[in-house]
Amino acid sequence: MPDPRLESLAEVICGYSLDVQPGEIIRITGPASAHEFIAAVTRNVTRLGGMPMLRPSFPSVEALMLSRGSDEQLTTVTELDRLDADVPSKTLTIWADRNTRYMSEVPPDRQALWSRARRELNDRFFERLARGEIGWCGVTLPTQAFAQDAGMSLAEFEDFVYGAGHVSDPDPVAYWRSQSQRQARVVDRMSTVTELRIVAEDTDLTLDVSGRTWLNADGRENFPDGEVFTSPQEQRTQGHITFSFDATYHGREFGGVRLWFEDGRVVRHEATRGAEFLAGMLDMDEGARYVGEVAFGMNDEIQRATNNVAFDEKIGGTTHIALGAAFPEAGGTNRSSLHWDIVCDLRHGGEVYGDGELLARDGAFL
Amino acid sequence: MIDLRVERLAQVVCRHSLAAKPGELMLIEAPAVAEPLVIELVKAALEAGALPRVRVASEGAQLAFLSEASEEQLRTLLPSALPEMEAIDLRVAVHASVNTRELSGVDPARVAAVQESRKPVMDRYMQRSAAGELRWCVTAFPCQAFAQDADLSLDAYEDFVYRAGWLHLDDPVAAWQGFAGTLRQIADRLAGVRELRVVAEDTDLTVGVEGRRWIPCHGDRNFPDGEVYTGPIETATRGDVRFSYPAIFGGREVQDVRLRFEGGRVVRSEAAGGAELLGQMLAIDDGASILGEFAIGTNYGVQRFTKQILFDEKIGGTCHMAVGAGYPETGSTNTSGLHWDMVCDLRSGGEIYADGELIHRDGRFLPAFAPDLTPPEM
Repeated sequence: MPDPRLESLAEVICGYSLDVQPGEIIRITGPASAHEFIAAVTRNVTRLGGMPMLRPSFPSVEALMLSRGSDEQLTTVTELDRLDADVPSKTLTIWADRNTRYMSEVPPDRQALWSRARRELNDRFFERLARGEIGWCGVTLPTQAFAQDAGMSLAEFEDFVYGAGHVSDPDPVAYWRSQSQRQARVVDRMSTVTELRIVAEDTDLTLDVSGRTWLNADGRENFPDGEVFTSPQEQRTQGHITFSFDATYHGREFGGVRLWFEDGRVVRHEATRGAEFLAGMLDMDEGARYVGEVAFGMNDEIQRATNNVAFDEKIGGTTHIALGAAFPEAGGTNRSSLHWDIVCDLRHGGEVYGDGELLARDGAFL
Repeated sequence: MIDLRVERLAQVVCRHSLAAKPGELMLIEAPAVAEPLVIELVKAALEAGALPRVRVASEGAQLAFLSEASEEQLRTLLPSALPEMEAIDLRVAVHASVNTRELSGVDPARVAAVQESRKPVMDRYMQRSAAGELRWCVTAFPCQAFAQDADLSLDAYEDFVYRAGWLHLDDPVAAWQGFAGTLRQIADRLAGVRELRVVAEDTDLTVGVEGRRWIPCHGDRNFPDGEVYTGPIETATRGDVRFSYPAIFGGREVQDVRLRFEGGRVVRSEAAGGAELLGQMLAIDDGASILGEFAIGTNYGVQRFTKQILFDEKIGGTCHMAVGAGYPETGSTNTSGLHWDMVCDLRSGGEIYADGELIHRDGRFLPAFAPDLTPPEM
């Protein structure tokens, strides 16, 4: 018998996050091992009058294609790939790894080749998303693998995940609407700022957010959610930032990542772990050394790092920047196959200034 | 422990059945339980230079859709379905299941509605296949649910499946190629026949096959394989047939099906159990009560009924026919959302006459008509 919270999560995702409307085609992607949730989503999409377009996958096959495929096999974008990207009205991405290191045997240059070949498809997808022509939501499910990375039992991690999404609340949607209002106040204040300065341990970073749109991430495009974000002026980031938590990206672990920026570009980098991959990621393409996103985590249910960026970036009292692809809907213009979020904890002495005025201290907005 | 026969099956499907070539787009459709075979198929496809794409059927999702969908949703075809069928060069469908009765609580009319909505895709699939633009293969992965239906342990069922594909041989491809030669001779001889008459218990059925093409099936479109089939003349079928084995549709069994044909059409249908389903399916569209296929099973490595049509229709010593869509390459013009195979055992006393001449008795072609078809080392 599936966890009733899984059914409730599917209801929130379909009714609130995706807001499925009759006649819409809803593409559902994620590992086939998440079949209970995929079935629950299918049920809810259908109930709401949508047409499910089921695209579950085998992560093992993905890794196999990347490690064994020839350059041509990796870079050919087929009609099936185009149809998958173009046909749906809305897409649900389910993150539910059975092994978060499933890509670790794949050489990074193969991943880069694969991503580059799909850039055009992805760019078009995100542009259409930005224009509101299509919808998207990414949802993270509790799995043993994620629990393991978080250093928790599955039961404990389930409580953490469902708690972060408020899916056991009597009315989860009401919760997310009130959280949305709380975040809207921060968005309003941020929208008046030109120069944003973030100060924390080994961190003093200045970004220019003038002319950019701050967005309210309130459970529609990510679930669980809780952040406000924008894409900064590409050429204006100065200073340095040190990331507080360990991070896993495509099966590689990173720790103690520190970046120095000049005129928007990473000019120096350090890592205590994963240093050998860091350079490769920064050199993936021209856009990979520029900041595509700056954001503040506002989910107060999430208090601990779980080595999973989907949760870590939402921790109430943190900030994160992403290297690589920017959000067109925020006004960002940076393009890259990379979008790597790295989180900096502000809860212990961190400060955020907007045009010189203190806006947040110890992670709390004043 | 890896079963090397899985790899062998994938290699035979990729190289022999599909003869995959560099740059060809290969769609692999499989339920999640067949993951080990899918992985081997992807490896084999990559080795052949093809472009594999996998479509996984997720456990429980089809049931969820069928249970919740409105009539309109059931009849809605995704706009991607037809262009997908146009785009692919190769298709592998892997049959496997976690529960063959998963859809048994669903109203068959709802299943039929989905089937009907897919008719344009099915038609196009058949056309492209007939034109040689699309090559495809249906295969199976041994799983607990199929083993259970066959009254076997998984171990024994795996042996059954792999022996049916002659994968216990060192060079299965060579064996299938030798078999192909013999089957072609049989198909050539059948090509000269105007009428076939099948006689067995409660069965005396005549099908018109004049001018239709007989296709030898030697492991290209089905794997395992072993049959020769044609598309009978749509208006000529007459007489009675009683099927020895239950007819299975979407996990439901229809027991002891008896059909009477007049002028090509089913004019009376009876069944000991599931008669309602039978009646519904025969009425889903105009072509559903007309034979689209008539075939003789020739895989003597398959001797038991296991409730999987892929194997059952190949049983050496049986014949089968399908109501519904015919294969245009046979000359059949029958179109339908349905293609439902039913099997009649001829091994105890069955006879087939070709224009009055006895050619097949007790499940074997007479030596005067065709050489022995028993595979090596059986």
